[in-house]
Amino acid sequence: MNRFGLPDLGTGIGLRTVHFGEILAGKPALDWFEVLSENFMDTGGRPLFVLDQVVERFPVALHGVSLSVGSTDPLDRGYLQKLKALAKRTRARWVSDHLCWTGVLGRNTHDLLPLPYDKATLRHVARRVRQVQDALERPLVLENPSSYLEYERSTMTEWEFLSELCDATGCGLLLDVNNVYVSSYNHGYDPRQYVDGIPADRVVQVHLAGHTNEGTHILDTHSGRAIPQVWKLYERLVARTGPVSTLYEWDADIPPLATVVREAAKARRYRTSARATGTHGA
Amino acid sequence: MAPELALGGLQRWLQAVIEAPGSVKAALRSREAARLVRPERTRDVVRPSHRGLRAADRLGIYQGMYLPRMMEALESDYEALAHFLGPNAWTRLVRSYLTAHPSRSYTLNELGRRLPEFVRRARVPHAPFCHDLARLERAVAEVFDAPETSALAEKDLTSLRPRDLERLRLVPAAALRLLKLDHDAGAWLDSLRGDEHDHPPVRRRRTRVVVYRRRYGVKRREQGEAAFALLEDLVAGAPIGRALARALARRGAARLAGPEAAFRLFREWAAMGLFQGPASTPGLTRRRPRS
Repeated sequence: MNRFGLPDLGTGIGLRTVHFGEILAGKPALDWFEVLSENFMDTGGRPLFVLDQVVERFPVALHGVSLSVGSTDPLDRGYLQKLKALAKRTRARWVSDHLCWTGVLGRNTHDLLPLPYDKATLRHVARRVRQVQDALERPLVLENPSSYLEYERSTMTEWEFLSELCDATGCGLLLDVNNVYVSSYNHGYDPRQYVDGIPADRVVQVHLAGHTNEGTHILDTHSGRAIPQVWKLYERLVARTGPVSTLYEWDADIPPLATVVREAAKARRYRTSARATGTHGA
Repeated sequence: MAPELALGGLQRWLQAVIEAPGSVKAALRSREAARLVRPERTRDVVRPSHRGLRAADRLGIYQGMYLPRMMEALESDYEALAHFLGPNAWTRLVRSYLTAHPSRSYTLNELGRRLPEFVRRARVPHAPFCHDLARLERAVAEVFDAPETSALAEKDLTSLRPRDLERLRLVPAAALRLLKLDHDAGAWLDSLRGDEHDHPPVRRRRTRVVVYRRRYGVKRREQGEAAFALLEDLVAGAPIGRALARALARRGAARLAGPEAAFRLFREWAAMGLFQGPASTPGLTRRRPRS
């Protein structure tokens, strides 16, 4: 159990437009849905109508891509207000975004861009996380991004940075195990060291996904099935955290709902095993 | 300068590299990027990878994903325009549009807001037609996302006294757009639906189009000149009596045939849900409207 007392929602998937009809028409074997915040902030049409139906049947958590918590631009207060309103409407169990920045000078590249990991950046991000948490009146849950470059000025590992950020702000973690694997491949570190290095009691949620290996680097494409190495990392993580809310992301060439549900269901085996052995907390 | 760059400068530099068109080499030499980090100092900012990628290669991964991501977002709103222009002209248009109007919103839904106006002055084949097509597609996107409002029913009007009805100002549904087009852009949009993509030729034809939403589905309907002019007056907030009087007094094609025609139109528009009902229009619940 995480230190926030946030519930283990079980196994879920991301709510995607192509599955709206199947979700409303059937009873997918899922425990919960993750909702991309920005897709529902400014719509009053069918997406919001569907979301309202989903919320009546499943717990949801909000997941954003445009908070830009690491940017040197001012925080977007209007965005935060809308995010808070959506969280209230959906009775979101928690609100997450990424440890990244998406743009400066008032612009948005709509990419999750990496930060340098040093003390100055840590102070900057910590200040903004506190501001976000004050605005949302709840802990922010931050996800480790995939990254394709590292800065020379970095003096800390990503997991050290995240650990210190948690201590400084009281924020939670969404650990994307696929992202850990992708970044470790791209930057040459041992992903097991990452999984062992993060504070387990801060982990509120886990992401799993497929990726695309280009040889010289891996792209986090959220396509296809997670590879065995990613499942092994997940097993290692839940041995530390215990059963934790787990979500499967599939965003490229999205297959029918049943296929995504089947992939997500694989997580149940590891969750059950962690519960049975009770090895977590180590 | 390079390694001592503060976080803000580092972010401005990376963004300049990502947004710059062309190769990553050209991006590193672009004015804004080179002002912040001299191209030969790139490796002082970004580490090479242990798998043999140079600093520039790693930056190129981010830079290379920028245009496709923006194109995908714009194509979701402007599928017909992209199809009409073809890949080369569409890519050129998007590149120049992004330079003029980079995303400034947390949502990509806003990215294409200014494309219709941009395309009107852009160097594209059949620019006036493209302008109409883009306006129509933008209207469809806006109507899709507009807030849901309760719809006016015919009985909401028939229950009013004639004098009150004349003074009543109708409130348009949030999911409603009126378009005056010089081309039959709707026919082109429709031609995308079939597998054969048998597109009609581009030709000028004045069309008056209502884009609206029923049961969360976006719909379009052409209106005659007279009906459209009356609808425009009502949407602009004219009281029903005054709008009707103007419609009957107009000349030519814009003149309404008579009160019976108006009654039929009101019934039709109520069925289409073009105006808000009593739940969102307090004036409609009163027997005596505000003066």
